[in-house]
Amino acid sequence: MNFQQSLKRRLKSKESLLFLITLLIALAFFINNRNFLRIDSLQGIMQTMSITGIMAVGMSYLFIGGGIDLSMTFVSLFSGVICAMMIRSGIPWGIAVVLTLLIGAGIGAINAFFVTKIKIMAFISTIAMSMVLQGVNLILTNAQDIAVAVADGHTFAWGSRTIWVFPVPFVIMTLLIVIYGVILTKTQFGRNVYLVGGNEYAARLAGVNPLKVRAILYINAAFLSAMAGIVFTSRMRSAAPSTAADWQMNAITASILGGVAFGGGSGSMLGCFIGIAMLNIFNAGLSSIALAAHWTTMAQGALLLIALAADFVNERSRQKALRVKAEVPSKVTAKEGA
Amino acid sequence: MSDILQFTGISKSYPGVKALQDISFSAKAGRVLALLGENGAGKSTLLKILSGDVRADTGDITIDGEKQTYSSPYDAIQAGISVIYQERQLVPSLSVMENVFPGALPKTKLGTIDRRTLRRETKAVIEKFGLPIDPDEPVGRLSVAYQQMVEIMKAYRRDARIIAFDEPTAPLAEAEIAILFKLIQQLKEEGRIIIYVSHRMAEIFQVTDDIVVLKDGKLVKTLTTCETNEHELIQAMIGRDLGDTYANLKRNDKLGDVVLEVKDLCTDMLHDINFTLRAGEVLGFAGLIGAGRTEVARAIFGADPITSGEIIFEGKTVKFKEPKDAIKAGMALCPEDRKDQGLLLQRTIRENTTMPILKKIRRGPFLDHHLENTLTHESVKKYTIRTPSINKITRELSGGNQQKVILGRWTNAKNSTKLLILDEPTKGIDVGTKAEIYQMVCDLAKTGLAIIFISSELTEVLNVSDRIIVMRSGHITWDIPREEATEENVLEHAMLV
Amino acid sequence: MSDQSQGSPGTLQPEAKQRQSFLVLLIRKRTLMMLFLFVIIIAVFAIRTDGRMIDMRNIMQILNMMAVSTFLTQGVALLMISGKLDLSTGANGTLCGMFLAYVLRAGVPLIPAILMALAVGALVGVVNAALVNELNMAPFIATLATSLIATGFVILIAQNRIIPIRHPVLIDYGSYMLFRFNVGEFSFPGVPVSAFLAFCFMAIIGVLLHKTKFGRQTYLVGGNPQAAMLSGINPKKMSYILFIICGLFSSIAGITLVSRLQSANMQGLVAQRFQGITAAVLGGISLGGGTGGMAGAFVGLLVLNTFSNGMTVQGTGPGWQHIASGGLLIFALTLEYFQRRQNEKIVA
Repeated sequence: MNFQQSLKRRLKSKESLLFLITLLIALAFFINNRNFLRIDSLQGIMQTMSITGIMAVGMSYLFIGGGIDLSMTFVSLFSGVICAMMIRSGIPWGIAVVLTLLIGAGIGAINAFFVTKIKIMAFISTIAMSMVLQGVNLILTNAQDIAVAVADGHTFAWGSRTIWVFPVPFVIMTLLIVIYGVILTKTQFGRNVYLVGGNEYAARLAGVNPLKVRAILYINAAFLSAMAGIVFTSRMRSAAPSTAADWQMNAITASILGGVAFGGGSGSMLGCFIGIAMLNIFNAGLSSIALAAHWTTMAQGALLLIALAADFVNERSRQKALRVKAEVPSKVTAKEGA
Repeated sequence: MSDILQFTGISKSYPGVKALQDISFSAKAGRVLALLGENGAGKSTLLKILSGDVRADTGDITIDGEKQTYSSPYDAIQAGISVIYQERQLVPSLSVMENVFPGALPKTKLGTIDRRTLRRETKAVIEKFGLPIDPDEPVGRLSVAYQQMVEIMKAYRRDARIIAFDEPTAPLAEAEIAILFKLIQQLKEEGRIIIYVSHRMAEIFQVTDDIVVLKDGKLVKTLTTCETNEHELIQAMIGRDLGDTYANLKRNDKLGDVVLEVKDLCTDMLHDINFTLRAGEVLGFAGLIGAGRTEVARAIFGADPITSGEIIFEGKTVKFKEPKDAIKAGMALCPEDRKDQGLLLQRTIRENTTMPILKKIRRGPFLDHHLENTLTHESVKKYTIRTPSINKITRELSGGNQQKVILGRWTNAKNSTKLLILDEPTKGIDVGTKAEIYQMVCDLAKTGLAIIFISSELTEVLNVSDRIIVMRSGHITWDIPREEATEENVLEHAMLV
Repeated sequence: MSDQSQGSPGTLQPEAKQRQSFLVLLIRKRTLMMLFLFVIIIAVFAIRTDGRMIDMRNIMQILNMMAVSTFLTQGVALLMISGKLDLSTGANGTLCGMFLAYVLRAGVPLIPAILMALAVGALVGVVNAALVNELNMAPFIATLATSLIATGFVILIAQNRIIPIRHPVLIDYGSYMLFRFNVGEFSFPGVPVSAFLAFCFMAIIGVLLHKTKFGRQTYLVGGNPQAAMLSGINPKKMSYILFIICGLFSSIAGITLVSRLQSANMQGLVAQRFQGITAAVLGGISLGGGTGGMAGAFVGLLVLNTFSNGMTVQGTGPGWQHIASGGLLIFALTLEYFQRRQNEKIVA
């Protein structure tokens, strides 16, 4: 009975609605273009979504804890460049990867410092950070791509391999989502993230230091961005100083699409995953019906706005429902409370 | 020996105000102690000191003879104290059980959250209280009453020895109050110390055992509930030294025509508000916090929507969509919260003074700075605002001077104000400046202004106003001339059913 | 501060001279600090570049560069004073410039074409205002989203091409020098039309802010929207007006850019999209709203532009320039933090 109850709850949740919408989108494109659901095109979608997917995990955590990081794109590009340069200079790739992740976390620490100590609004201080990193990238690379000249057999080429039918980056992303999902729902730290984002005062009452939790979230976001950068470098076997694709906007859109509240306090990793999938299937679908880049960009902006608007409408109807509840509570409670 | 919570010599002052002076009393285990007093008597400051939000200037809190030295709300909780405010400390998106166990969740051997134990323990608490709440339900979906129950369960789960309630019944309906009282009874029987703050007389007699009455930050009486009655309590709450402040007040004695007539006004918060106001009259609004006085002001001023009823201003039925229309018609509102709604703290006195009259001080397309300066100087002089310059930033002024700036905003030569609404104009202001403001109100009345004077200080309303309207939970309960009003009968109408 | 300590009532008292250290004074008077910084930047770069920095032609180059960012800044600065923000200015300007080039090539006469471009800018402003006011979105995320949509339109129109601008009036607007004269040896190369216009606009906006009802209301809404509402100002209406003005200025910035380059490309104003905010924050307009003014924003612009120009003249690559502009933004925001702390100290 307990299982049934929880199944029922799951089916009624926001996540399953989103999942349904995603399926419908995929189906619509499939009807239009039978090639859309072929293994190789699905693999393509999985490849593409994993970069932004890894970032979306960090972004979702930040959103739930009431923050935002707009330096993620450049943190990951920078990390890719650093990693590629280290491998080129002969450092074993494993060590290069670990060092890169540490550097990424270090950048996150700087972000955390400005946001939690100097109390600069997160979005603007992280924009400033992204400007700085953009410059560093240009200097390091001379505006050229940095190729990691490794043969097909080289172990660092894992980014372009597959495990059974799943591309390695996708597997990494999925693993991360599972791990972060477990942390979010099953550990004290995960609860603390919700507490800090949902009610800072309550968090402090519970002995949680909101500044510390937020700092960890910024470090984590940059760490995951670095990981995305490494995955990208491994897949492309080269690192780029800049990208036309706005990865972090993808991550933001995916998170909000997946029901992670922008203001903090609610959201789940499952939702985040569905959000990423939805966004990428949508984008892939648009290009499968031969619509060019401008539609993708525009559609993404529109999706973000729709998701934000849905958030607003949802919140308002919830408050209205509560008000109605508060006005006629006596009937319910009298019966139940007796 | 039973557990005892002891306050000794607690004092606290804010700039210009002594919030608490030398408060000493004790609360015993297994008993409910009521804190009673008018608005501003110091109850909430005392609660904040208890909860660790505010530190007392002097004095100690001891539990079982052990002196408490906590400095933050968290420390207070660790010491076994839980204060349940009206403002909930819950995360709406999290489930009931996660809210009940916020800081220390039970863990499995792997270090993850042990949901089964969590659910079981939460369920045990819920069942103990006999509530129909599902531990997996997000708190945001519960009604206000049940959210409060979750808050109580949180305190219970922490095994808090001392639980304080701040006006717990304000948002609740009758049936819900019954559940709450059952819970309080249960907590009391378990030997906890309960502190109960409420304005509602009936409740105090229903649930409490001891009563401490505060007034103007001083403790005036400690009583046992079963040995007292409503009238004795009201007597204890009122009766302060009037001094010469009010005796010397030069009042206006010439009343003019009816300026404002409110007929059957209803909003979400208000029910059938009826009253009239004449030119030169000061109409006082008395009542407890939350009685709906501010809401009347905002509804008349067009800041809140009206569901039904009629407002007749200067003989014409008016319907204001926004405050702009009300101002155009000749109304003015000095809001309750100077800092949040009244002033622009980082702008100058000059800019704050001319906010509503920018249209009238234009010369061609530009603002007439000369006229603006003259007007501001006049108001600085008229209201004796103490400042080195009219270009001083208002944040750097004292509370009294800030209030005078707002008065000046509505009563200078370019205003066409005919009705002035003052909402708590003396809140947080020192005694000397208060007296000045009273005289200013009377002087303004003499110039033919109709004034609505809302205040939580009874003596003040009774002495400054020509007529007094008493409100309770969105209704007008009494409308009397000043001569007939005493603190006692006004308070009765404000508190009793 | 007790009342009694401030002298007898009703009369203005001369303020007791407080001894302030120079540093505190600089932190409190932001414009002064920026001027100070401006002089230092000029001096340092002048020395490092053997005077090339303060060469007359280079100064004109700075002015030329400043035209676009001056337009960008004034719209954003106005919005920021009213407590809002627009991150879509860069994308919006790019779109308007691109749109202008497109309709001109399609044969639309100049005046209607410019009006159409301006209308596009204003439309983006309306959309931003609607998202913020009607759907309660945080301005920065809403405007980020609209900037995505605007960028989409840019790609749609451009199709990866560069659209040339051939209209003589626009070319003149972009490159003609006003006030050019020669006196013997000395030759003054003149002031670019666009820069002249930009500064005129800035001055006008400055006067508007300082002298008119509209300007005052901008401050009031930014300082305390509740209080403004209770004083008969409609914060929502103000917000619409200011977002539209910001959109219009973004549009003018975009038009100026394509006139100067004599073509419209997809990069457009992307590199400059945060310049307006940086300049405004440098000049003392806080993100919270209600403070600062155009003079400050102008000095902020000067600092920003001389700094990046100095680096170009010195031969520093674009990488360092990015770092420097990011660094300047962080610097400006940190200054705000110190100012806030200073203010709190004064009240306490």
